[in-house]
Amino acid sequence: MNLGFVVGVFGVLILSHAAYSTIQYRGLLKIMEEEFSRPPMNVILELIIGLALCMWAALTFPGKFLSIHPDSDENRAVSLPDSSEFMIFNHRGRLFPPEIDMKF
Amino acid sequence: MGSSEKRSKDVMSDIPTFSGENLQNNLKVIQNSRTFLSIIAGVLAGIIGFNGLTGFVFYFVVMLITSVGLMAKAGFSADLYFDSWNRVLFDGFLGGLMSFVLFWTFAYDLVHIF
Repeated sequence: MNLGFVVGVFGVLILSHAAYSTIQYRGLLKIMEEEFSRPPMNVILELIIGLALCMWAALTFPGKFLSIHPDSDENRAVSLPDSSEFMIFNHRGRLFPPEIDMKF
Repeated sequence: MGSSEKRSKDVMSDIPTFSGENLQNNLKVIQNSRTFLSIIAGVLAGIIGFNGLTGFVFYFVVMLITSVGLMAKAGFSADLYFDSWNRVLFDGFLGGLMSFVLFWTFAYDLVHIF
């Protein structure tokens, strides 16, 4: 896929690796019978890197912002055939019998 | 390219017209970004082991960073892409909060309890 998706997957992988490291760290603390206050510094560093990557992916992957001005350069030619001035109603479809729902 | 529909019929009137379909696309982009980042923030809060109010403070910090990021993506000119600034900054805050708490408890259980 495109770059944003790859970066996002990478960020999620880094986060899951950090989670696994924290689980192992807690196991180690249980053996040494100490309290858990915060993850070790390398895990925190991994979490920050993972957060930065995921944030970048979340801002680029869902798509671009499209301009909403009707007279900007990218909205020009497509709006012309859709305005009501160009719609024709006097075609062969008017000869079809109208569909009337008879409800009592 | 998709079609765009005018919000007002009269082009010569003073009512500002804009393409409704593009506005909806932009709102969808914001919603997706915020939801994804709420989930990531929840997983992070669970791994670090936040308890209580600190976790919610963390969520608001991440959402503020997201707002700044979205403003930067819109080039700091909301008029080009949205009809008001409030949409960029405050849309989807509370919906993301529920996803955040869900993944926060999920990750916390996974890392600290099992």
